[in-house]
Amino acid sequence: MSSITTPNGFSVDNSGRRMVVDPVTRIEGHLRVEVNLDANNTIQNAVSSGTMWRGLEVILRGRDPRDAWAFTERICGVCTGVHALTSVRAVEDALGIKIPANANTIRNLMLATQWAQDHLIHFYHLHALDWVDVVSALKADPKATSALAQSISPWPNSSPGYFRDVQTRLKKFVESGQLGPFMNGYWGNAAYLLPPVANLMAVSHYLEALDFQREIIKIHTVFGGKNPHPNWLVGGMACAINLDGPLAAGAPVNIVQLNLVSSIVDRTIAFIDQVYIPDLKAIASFYKGWQYGQGLSGRNVLAYGEFPVHANDWSDGNLMMPRGAIVNGKISEVLPVDLRDPNQVQEFVDHSWYKYPNEAIGLHPWSGITDPDFRLGAKTVGTKTHIRQLDEAAKYSFIKAPRWRGHAMEVGPLSRFTVGYAKGMPEFKEPVDKLLKDLGLPFEALFTTLGRTAARGLEASWAAHAMRTFHDQLMANLRAGDLATASTAKWEPSTWPAEAKGVGQVEAPRGALGHWVHIKSGKIESYQAVVPTTWNGSPRDPAGNIGPFEAALLNTPLADGTQPLEILRTLHSFDPCLACSTH
Amino acid sequence: MPAETHTFYEVMRAQGTSRRSFLKFCSLTAAALGLEPFYAARIAEAMETKPRIPVLWMHGLECTCCSESFIRSGHPLAKDVILKMISLDYDDTLMASAGYQAEAILDEIPKKYPGQYILAVEGNPPLNEDGMFCIVGGRPFVNKLKEVASNAMAVIAWGACASWGCVQSARPNPTAATPIDKVITDKPIIKVPGCPPIAEVMTGVITYVVTFGRLPELDARGRPLMFYGQRIHDKCYRRPHFDAGQFVEAWDDQGAREGYCLYKMGCRGPTTYNACSTTRWNGGVSFPIQAGHGCIGCSEEYFWDNGPFYQRLSPIAAGFGVEATADEVGGAVAAVAGAGVVAHAAGSIVKHVYGKKRSGTNARSGPDEGDRP
Amino acid sequence: MSAHISASNPPRATHARVSAPVYVYHLPVRIWHWVTVFSIATLSVTGFLIADPPWPVLLGQPSNLFLMGDIRVTHFIAGDVLAVALLVRMYWAVVGSRYEREIFMPAVWRGSWWRGLFRTIRWYFFLERETAREIGHNPLEQIAMFAMFTLGVLFEIVTGFALYGQGTGYGTWAYQLFTSWVVPLFGNGQILHTWHHLGMWYLIVFSMVHVYMTIREDIMARYSVMSTMVSGWRFFKDDRDDEEEGV
Ligand code: HEM
Ligand code: HEM
Ligand code: NFV
Ligand code: SF4
Ligand code: SF4
Ligand code: F3S
Ligand SMILES: [Mg+2]
Repeated sequence: MSSITTPNGFSVDNSGRRMVVDPVTRIEGHLRVEVNLDANNTIQNAVSSGTMWRGLEVILRGRDPRDAWAFTERICGVCTGVHALTSVRAVEDALGIKIPANANTIRNLMLATQWAQDHLIHFYHLHALDWVDVVSALKADPKATSALAQSISPWPNSSPGYFRDVQTRLKKFVESGQLGPFMNGYWGNAAYLLPPVANLMAVSHYLEALDFQREIIKIHTVFGGKNPHPNWLVGGMACAINLDGPLAAGAPVNIVQLNLVSSIVDRTIAFIDQVYIPDLKAIASFYKGWQYGQGLSGRNVLAYGEFPVHANDWSDGNLMMPRGAIVNGKISEVLPVDLRDPNQVQEFVDHSWYKYPNEAIGLHPWSGITDPDFRLGAKTVGTKTHIRQLDEAAKYSFIKAPRWRGHAMEVGPLSRFTVGYAKGMPEFKEPVDKLLKDLGLPFEALFTTLGRTAARGLEASWAAHAMRTFHDQLMANLRAGDLATASTAKWEPSTWPAEAKGVGQVEAPRGALGHWVHIKSGKIESYQAVVPTTWNGSPRDPAGNIGPFEAALLNTPLADGTQPLEILRTLHSFDPCLACSTH
Repeated sequence: MPAETHTFYEVMRAQGTSRRSFLKFCSLTAAALGLEPFYAARIAEAMETKPRIPVLWMHGLECTCCSESFIRSGHPLAKDVILKMISLDYDDTLMASAGYQAEAILDEIPKKYPGQYILAVEGNPPLNEDGMFCIVGGRPFVNKLKEVASNAMAVIAWGACASWGCVQSARPNPTAATPIDKVITDKPIIKVPGCPPIAEVMTGVITYVVTFGRLPELDARGRPLMFYGQRIHDKCYRRPHFDAGQFVEAWDDQGAREGYCLYKMGCRGPTTYNACSTTRWNGGVSFPIQAGHGCIGCSEEYFWDNGPFYQRLSPIAAGFGVEATADEVGGAVAAVAGAGVVAHAAGSIVKHVYGKKRSGTNARSGPDEGDRP
Repeated sequence: MSAHISASNPPRATHARVSAPVYVYHLPVRIWHWVTVFSIATLSVTGFLIADPPWPVLLGQPSNLFLMGDIRVTHFIAGDVLAVALLVRMYWAVVGSRYEREIFMPAVWRGSWWRGLFRTIRWYFFLERETAREIGHNPLEQIAMFAMFTLGVLFEIVTGFALYGQGTGYGTWAYQLFTSWVVPLFGNGQILHTWHHLGMWYLIVFSMVHVYMTIREDIMARYSVMSTMVSGWRFFKDDRDDEEEGV
């Protein structure tokens, strides 16, 4: 094959040198990416393959729908809790269960907490090393680093002594010859553009963020008992609230716990606004010229909407983050999204390791099928148990190919902000415009690898402030005397209809997430999840449309044809989660 | 962050381990590995000169929440473990390199430190489809796992996945996900079950080795006794309500608000070995029961197939999707037996009465009085 | 002569024409029987209460309530009694009469035992006019006693102590002797609970049939039944030989 143009408008050419990146690291789960490089080491073709499958949808069949949250929660421990929330929403939708106001607020608070924590970890611990050269930090002048830090943020850990200390320890660490997680990194690669001072500042915050992230999630521990994998409940939350009386101290939630939550919310806002956002801006200012990774962003984006202000109301007006789809780059037009419509969300498998009776068509999740079929194409290089090169003309991934009205869609923070921006909502438009202005970048610069990363940061800040809103809401409702956290009227399966279908939606940290459940005689008849990374990591579909990862990698030049640094950078900007994507 | 990086030996000395017990640790390690005493000296030398102990952390089929849990550790901080106590040379979730540069580490470290590195495994290998439900570097994860294990000093099985199989091995286990001790059979394996395990339990296991110079005492199933020697129920703060007979009867009822026992809501605390009720979670903030939900038994083998989680006793899967509780099964059998007894009794009465009428031969002829004792 | 029948001088005649009563169950066996009946009843009642506490919500401080605790302690004491009694009974199986061994090892290696079994089955299906002259248990009873009672009670004791050892904790005798191997055998403690619970139903079904049969045979068999477990003596209602097989 030489160059062809896909229906979604990308020209791909797999004639050049094939480069395989497997494992893709600093992600969740197992991802393989293959690209073809032309003579200038510029990517002309990209193949993204999810290389793990566990079969959760198969395992869920026949089980009690009230247990499904626990199973689906284990789809992922990084975006922990989001599948559980989606699952209880799906079951509640199927059975017509209405949850109390406090349960809705607590769930909102837990989800916003998850966003803040997950985005923070992603930026510093999964993504930063794509931009930050750890070894170069050794060359930095601590005084200059301090000056830089103090010029961009009031964060107190910023004295020359502080940075010198970090640098000394880093030096000893590097000199020990045991680089641990930094071993074999791409240090010194020409694609690293930060000056040593910025590198040292970022490395310091890498360590600080590692310490701080564990504070944020204590909010999950209060309401859900632990993190990762807090507990949820069909019908509300199990964390009963008691603010008075002799036994309140032993209640799940009391004034002590509420105070802890409040204090964490304040510290989260401070950390994100004073460390994460300034670092993001500082790093971005050095990478302004690196405008790659557009892919489907700004063209085809999808958001389901999130954070219902009032419980049990999924109408557009009740969602703090908007719902909608944009296709073919028509930012001016946000299309309505209906997860129940059999013609909107559909999954294809003709390039995935599953089989359908007819693979030319896509299936809506309520009639979805998960039937594994591991087969390699004729042009595969290697053997079944030692694949050297995949054949993208055949089945090549455990990720299915979800499409919205036939379009491959990008999901995630950037998509959410794009929909919010397109709808003209100031809480999304203003921070975006301000960031672009501060960096001196045009609007189109938003739709790049860097833009994806920036949107995630803005969203982390949005989430941190939303946590404050939710906590205040909870306190106000408690003050008004409403302590209810669970509704039990339809707890017993004997109260359920013989058959019911439901859909649960959540905006997970990585994007739009849906679970479709079919309940029959009190048991799960079928369960299908379409997950953010299923959208983003999608392989080709029967029409030949490529997925968001694949599209975003195209046309990116590598500074060093033996090092996949830029590939990692763009993939990481999506925050891939492979356990999620294939489940 | 600690002031310096140390050799493994220096770290142990700093924690108060004497040279004598350090050497003893080395010979015990050698013995545990079934190595000649000669290797003890080699291990000692390696630990004195080679800085921190190399740890290779591999991921199979899993959800990465064991890693997530690990970085939640407050004491010690995860960064101190990673940067000071051990040398985390491979961990796909955190490492800088990728692709063949990453894979090279899995080849180099076992060669450079034979018998001196720890293999930590999160997740498990699927065996169906020749292992290709989990592919790393184009090859089945299970192959790579066995290779890296073959030269390890010891293996840590993180979480329910590596220890027992966890969610992907729940019925019908479509990928044949298999606990690691079924494929690594010649190495000491420390199982740290839980879905996920508690952060401080994870770092506790690692620091125990460094601080006390020996492997922690394990139970017969390979779990460190200090964390898995007791049930949740044994130290549950709601236990007084259990003994009193005060139970939550419905979500958010008065009992739920007063912290009553969750036994009738399906709590698995009475059969679950873990440290949640003692160590608690995330810096001691709470644990599942304290937050109002029953324990689902996440550190126990087969716990996924013991649902519904809200039913006190799990149903008996009578195959082919027929499921019933012990009382339903027992009650049904007893009802059949009862009906049989009634029918038989009716028949017996007929026979007794009819038989008597037909012939008088069966008339009672009791024993002689004289034969009585 | 009856006074001479004892553990050292058991009655021998099985096929002989016996019209004289036979001393089949020694005092320890009779005491054991009724102690066992009492403890199993206690275990079943407390077992049901443990499995599904039926009482309404008890509000207030837990400090001066110990209802669940008392029920469990009663269960454990009855369990200890059941187990110790069974040990005594096992000892007696060794030193006692051959009839007192029947519930531990039915004589399945004997042809006559199998003939007796088929005859008894026919009797219960109303195909035999009368029972054989049984001194101990008839073969069907023997097999039921062994499979349902002896194995059932042993199962409950082993699983019960394994559960008990979970509570007493690692290193205690119950843990070392039972929990350590029984829990892995069943998979986990939760599964073990289910089987222990199911074992109760197994014994309940046995008890139902056993009590019915005891009453029925007391009326319809050619020998005494109920009184035998009180006095120890087997009385016969006639002095005929057993008929040959068939009606
Ligand atoms: C005929 C004999 C027995 C019967 C019918 C019986 C019945 C029961 C039943 C129905 C339960 C509740 C099970 C559940 O739903 O989880 C139970 C629990 C239990 N039984 Fe037994 N049992 C018997 C013998 C024993 C013995 C010999 C012991 C030894 C001490 C024992 C110890 C226990 C323990 C420790 C529990 C669990 C109590 C708890 O979790 O609080 N049982 N028994
Ligand atoms: C009111 C209730 C009961 C009565 C009247 C009763 C009566 C009897 C009688 C008469 C025998 C002797 C049978 C024979 O001579 O062939 C016997 C034997 C036996 N019974 Fe019961 N029984 C009762 C309840 C139970 C229960 C609940 C159990 C246990 C679950 C039980 C277990 C046994 C056993 C194991 C034997 C055989 C004794 C031996 O051969 O050592 N009985 N019972
Ligand atoms: N993709 C994905 Fe998740 C997220 N965010 C799930 O819904 O990461 Ni594990
Ligand atoms: S044990 Fe549970 S928590 Fe850990 S990786 Fe497996 S599924 Fe996730
Ligand atoms: S809540 Fe669970 S662990 Fe705690 S006492 Fe009750 S049954 Fe035991
Ligand atoms: S569910 Fe797991 S986290 Fe602890 S309380 Fe139970 S073992
Ligand atoms: Mg799916």
